[in-house]
Amino acid sequence: MNQLLNFLFRYNQLILEGLQETMYMVGLSLLFAVLLGVPLGVITTITREDNIFPNKAINNLLNGVINIGRSIPFIILLVAVIPFTRMIVGTSIGTTAAVVPLALAAIPFMGRIVDNALLEIDQGVIESAEAMGATPWQIVYKVLLPEALPAIILGITLTAISLVSYSAMAGAVGGGGLGDIAIRYGYQRFKLGIMIETIIILVVVVQLIQWAGNKLANSFDHRN
Amino acid sequence: MISVKNLTKRYNSSQGDIEAISGINLKVAAGEIFGIIGPSGAGKSTLIRTLNLLEKPTKGEIIIDNTELTSLSAALLRKERQKIAMIFQHFNLLSSRTVRGNVSFPLEIAGIAKKERKQRVKRLIELVGLSDRADHYPAQLSGGQKQRVGIARALANDPQVLLSDEATSSLDPESTKSILKLLSRIRDELNLTIILITHEMEVIKEVCDRVAVIEAGKIIEEGTVLEIFSKPKKPLTKKFIKSVIDFELPPRVAEYLSDSQHKPGILLRVSFLGENTHQPLISYLVKKFDIDANILYGNIDEIQRVPFGTLVIDLEGKKEKLSASIQFLQEQGLQVEVLEGESIT
Repeated sequence: MNQLLNFLFRYNQLILEGLQETMYMVGLSLLFAVLLGVPLGVITTITREDNIFPNKAINNLLNGVINIGRSIPFIILLVAVIPFTRMIVGTSIGTTAAVVPLALAAIPFMGRIVDNALLEIDQGVIESAEAMGATPWQIVYKVLLPEALPAIILGITLTAISLVSYSAMAGAVGGGGLGDIAIRYGYQRFKLGIMIETIIILVVVVQLIQWAGNKLANSFDHRN
Repeated sequence: MISVKNLTKRYNSSQGDIEAISGINLKVAAGEIFGIIGPSGAGKSTLIRTLNLLEKPTKGEIIIDNTELTSLSAALLRKERQKIAMIFQHFNLLSSRTVRGNVSFPLEIAGIAKKERKQRVKRLIELVGLSDRADHYPAQLSGGQKQRVGIARALANDPQVLLSDEATSSLDPESTKSILKLLSRIRDELNLTIILITHEMEVIKEVCDRVAVIEAGKIIEEGTVLEIFSKPKKPLTKKFIKSVIDFELPPRVAEYLSDSQHKPGILLRVSFLGENTHQPLISYLVKKFDIDANILYGNIDEIQRVPFGTLVIDLEGKKEKLSASIQFLQEQGLQVEVLEGESIT
């Protein structure tokens, strides 16, 4: 039994570091995704024709940005933005550097999710706010965001899980993380145990994120 | 209070332009409950939504409390809209807020300070009788309760005008009655001017002072509810009235009349409105003209506390007495229609 545990935890330190790196990358890029993706989604929605702040030019532009951002495969984005990453972080290698492409991929993803969540809101509720004399800004923060909050929380959960998966590719720019460990140790050095261990941890992490997301979304959902 | 001039709304569609409402003129006095009734697709919803510019009219003027709305800037229109409240068929409450939060919402929009907001919210919730539900979410309320929240919310900024867009159309008859009662109570208490649209004549009969009938985007008939009910002119108006007051003879009576055993007399339909119902006209008729009267069918209703009804009576007696009776009834201001019998009149 002891032998088995020793065998299992030989790479403890390594895996723990990997987990921390993954959390760091996912956490930080998720933060940017929310900070920039939510406004992106909100502006895209409200500038639609027949919404509260119609503006065709802005709407077309943002829709284009979201669609282009979402159609570039992550592994390509990862390398393509290297000059940009260097400009921001100062280096193109390492965990922090990996946050830049991760955030860039997550922002349009989040934007589309928020856009869809806001479109789900009953038009009548928005109209009643307009009839009361609410400004577009008041409608955004008093009607749209609170009404769509459960859906937005689930969207953030979805984005977080996608980021966990994307972060596995961050090894390509020396970002580290669990996925990187799985590839370098498990695949390239044929250490199947590590591969399995990291996968189990990733599964648990994803389950936890989804569970917490559902729980939080439910606590804000008063629709029935 | 409200004056609408030549209001027209045209939609562009692939099949050419559609005029949802065309050349509507209306005048509604302060404190009045004005009903607009029409079948679906007649343009009544477009009309009421144009009044607070949720729909931009193609042309025409809307003057509410001496302010012409169509020429206002966006900011001034928002200010004006705080005084023009609206309630909706599907309530349109915020699902993320409790009853309290929903009623507080328009006050937040108007920038009322938190302390005053709390007091007003409390008072409004009391006014609509929902104090014990103040911390419930809309999903936990019945339709009637949701509409009460809608009304409390609408009244929050002390509006002068309340627009009701089919506010009772998705409620059961009992809730409808209580919401209508509430509307007429707040009209009395707050001297509110209410414009409501509906497709139910019952609603008009219950609360309205005046009514306009709208068909294919035009107002085809307009008057006090009493006038419209007692002397409808257009077929559509008659059809609506028939939905609440049945002029048709019930099958039982029709059968009785077609029965060959039935002695020949004359069959009258007498419609009356107001005071006359307090007088014992029929018994007077029988005594004075020495005839027999048999009431076959009757229907008495009230419109704004004025009795209004129809009687179908079978009179038997001498010919000249019968014609004198008819004349007598007409002299009393009753509408008399001979349904069956020799040509006497």
